[in-house]
Amino acid sequence: MSGPGTIPLAERRWSLLVTALAFALPVVFVLVPLAIFLGYSFFSVDQGTIVHTLSLGNYFRFFTDPIFLPVFWNTIVLCLSVAAICILLAYPAAYFLTTLKGRWRYALLMLLLVPLLMSYVIKIYAIRSILGLNGFLNKALVGLGILQEPSTLFVFNMNAILLTLTLLLIPFAILPIFLSLERIPQVLLRASDDLGASGLQTFLRITLPLSLPGVASAASFVFVLAIGDFLTPQMVGGISGFTFGRILYSQFGTAYNWPFGAALSVALAVVVIAAILVGERFGRNRGTAI
Amino acid sequence: MNQNTDLLTLRSVSKSYGTVPVLHDIDLSIKDGEFLTVLGPSGSGKTTVLRLIGGLEPLTSGEIRLDGQDISRMPINRRPFNTVFQDYALFPHLTVSGNVGYGLSVRHVPRKEIARRVAEALELVQLGRFTDRFPAQLSGGQRQRVALARALICQPRLILLDEPLAALDLELRRQMQEFLKSIQREIKTTFLFVTHDQEEAIGMADRICVMQAGHIRQLGTPHELYYKPNCEFVARFFGENNLVAGKLGSVQGELRSIETALGRLVCSISDQPHLKTAADGASAFAAFRPEALHLADAKDTDNRFSGTIADMAFAGSSTVATITAGADHTGQRLRLRMPSRVDGSTLKSGATISLAFAPHEGHLVLA
Repeated sequence: MSGPGTIPLAERRWSLLVTALAFALPVVFVLVPLAIFLGYSFFSVDQGTIVHTLSLGNYFRFFTDPIFLPVFWNTIVLCLSVAAICILLAYPAAYFLTTLKGRWRYALLMLLLVPLLMSYVIKIYAIRSILGLNGFLNKALVGLGILQEPSTLFVFNMNAILLTLTLLLIPFAILPIFLSLERIPQVLLRASDDLGASGLQTFLRITLPLSLPGVASAASFVFVLAIGDFLTPQMVGGISGFTFGRILYSQFGTAYNWPFGAALSVALAVVVIAAILVGERFGRNRGTAI
Repeated sequence: MNQNTDLLTLRSVSKSYGTVPVLHDIDLSIKDGEFLTVLGPSGSGKTTVLRLIGGLEPLTSGEIRLDGQDISRMPINRRPFNTVFQDYALFPHLTVSGNVGYGLSVRHVPRKEIARRVAEALELVQLGRFTDRFPAQLSGGQRQRVALARALICQPRLILLDEPLAALDLELRRQMQEFLKSIQREIKTTFLFVTHDQEEAIGMADRICVMQAGHIRQLGTPHELYYKPNCEFVARFFGENNLVAGKLGSVQGELRSIETALGRLVCSISDQPHLKTAADGASAFAAFRPEALHLADAKDTDNRFSGTIADMAFAGSSTVATITAGADHTGQRLRLRMPSRVDGSTLKSGATISLAFAPHEGHLVLA
C-alpha cells in the first residue's frame, strides 16, 4: 500500500504548509496590492484627505480631461517604438551570436548582458551625458561633419527618452531572441539546404518564422518595462518629454492624489496585461514542436 | 533507367575530422536505379559517406562524380539529391503540404503545379488526407512518409536515407521496409540507404556495401554477402555464423580442405579465386551457417564431428542449439538452427550428438 494515507502526518502538514506558502506569496505580494489599488481608484481626495466613498469620478476625469488621454496614447506609441527599435537592433546581434562557436558565443552573450548588473540610475546619468548639448553624440556628429552645430534634437525631449529606453532595454530583447534562435535544430537548416533553398530562403522561410516566438516575448518584455518606467522620462525627458509614467508619479508625489493615481495605474495595468497576453499568445510555438 | 550504368562514383574518397580519419580511400559506384544499402556498426563511417554525397560535409580528399562529372565542390542546394533525415527534420511551422512542397516552392515553381505535385506525392505515400496537419499532429510512421514525399517530390537523381527507420517500433519498421521498397520500384529512383540493422539491409537492398572502421569491407548482393563473405568481419557481422579457425589444406576442384580443431573440414571455394591461390597452411576460418549444420546421418561422409548440447533456445519459427564441439567438447562453440516443431525438439541439453554440414554449404575466409 502506498496511498496518501501512509504518508506520516508531520510530512503531510509540511507539504500543506509549503503549498499554502507557494500560493500565499503571490496573493499577498501581488494580488492584494493590486486589489487595494483597484479599491483606491474609486475613492477621491478632499483637502488632502482621502474620502472613502465609492465613485467613478477618477475614471470619468481620465477619459474626459484633455490632458491625460493624449499623453496615454503618446506613451503607448513611444513604448511600441522602443520595442520595435530594440527588436531591429537585437535580432541581428542575437543572430550573430548563434553563428559563433562554443565558448565565444556565451562569452559574448555575457558581455552583452553585463549592463544589467549596473545601477539603472547610473546608466541613465551616463546616457544623459552622452545625449547632452555638449555630449559625446553631438560632438561626434559635429566632428564627423554630419551636423554644423550641436543639435537639440535629442536633448531633454521625447527622442531622448526613446534613445535612452532603447539603450537600457536592449539586453532584454537580445536574450529571448537568442534563446529562440538557439533552439532551432540545425538539421532543419540542413534539410532546407538539401531541398535546394538558398541561404536567404532558408533564413526567411525557416529561421525567421521559428524565431518569431522569441521576438514576441522580447517585444512584450521591452514594451512592459518601458511603459512602467517613470525614472528615465523624468531624468532625460525635460519639459516636453512628458509620459504617462511621469503623470502617475506626480499624482502620488506632488499632487498627492492617490485615488486618481490609482485609477491611472489601473489604466496602465490594463495595457500591460494586454501586452503580456499578446506576447504570450504569439510566444507560444503554435503547438508544433517537432 | 539502366541498372548497368553508374550514376555516382566515389574515387579514393577520404574524410578526417581534424586529425581523426573516419574514411580511408573509399571507392564506390552506385548504379542508376538500384537500392544500395550501406551497412555497418556505429562508427564505421557509413553516415559520413551519405553526408559527403549529400554535400552536408566537404571531402578531405578524393572526388565524387555524377554522370562522370566531378561534383565534390558543388554546394548542397545545387546537388540533385535529397535526404530523408534520421529524425525526419520536418519543418514544425509548416503543414504537411507546406513541408512536401518546400523543395518546389524555393525553386519558384508555379503555385498550381506545386499543389498538383504535392497531391501526387502525398497520394504516393498514402497521406492524401493529411495535407493540413502539422508534423506534431502526426505519428512516427506518418512523419516518415512526409519526409519521404518531401525528398522525392523534387525528382532527385538519388535519395539518401539516413537510418530513417531507427526510431520506429518493430512492426512499423517492417511495414515501412516493404513500403520503401515498393515506392523505390514504382518511381525507379536510386536509393542510398544507411543502416546498422543487417536484417533491414537484407530485406530491402539490391546490393549491400558493408563498412567497418572507415573501410568498405565488401560490396555485393545480399546473397553474395551471406554465402560468400570475403573476410572475417563480414562473415561474423552479416547474419549468424559459425567460424572455426584452422590452416588451409589442399585444393580439390571447387573445394578446399582446412585443418581445424574439429578435424579436417572441406568447404566450397567456387567463384573465389583468391582462396584457390592462397598458400597451404595459411590461417583461415571455415564458416558455415547455423541452418547448414545438422544431425549427421549415414549419407554424410565429409565434415563430421561430434559435440555436446550446452543449451536449447526456442525462437519461434526456429529452435537454436548451442553446441560445444572439438576434441574435448569444450573449445569450439557452434550454433545449430532447425525448424521448430509443435511437439518440441528431440534434442536435450547435455546430450552428445554427431553433426555435419555439406561441403558446398561451407565456405572459407582468410584470417
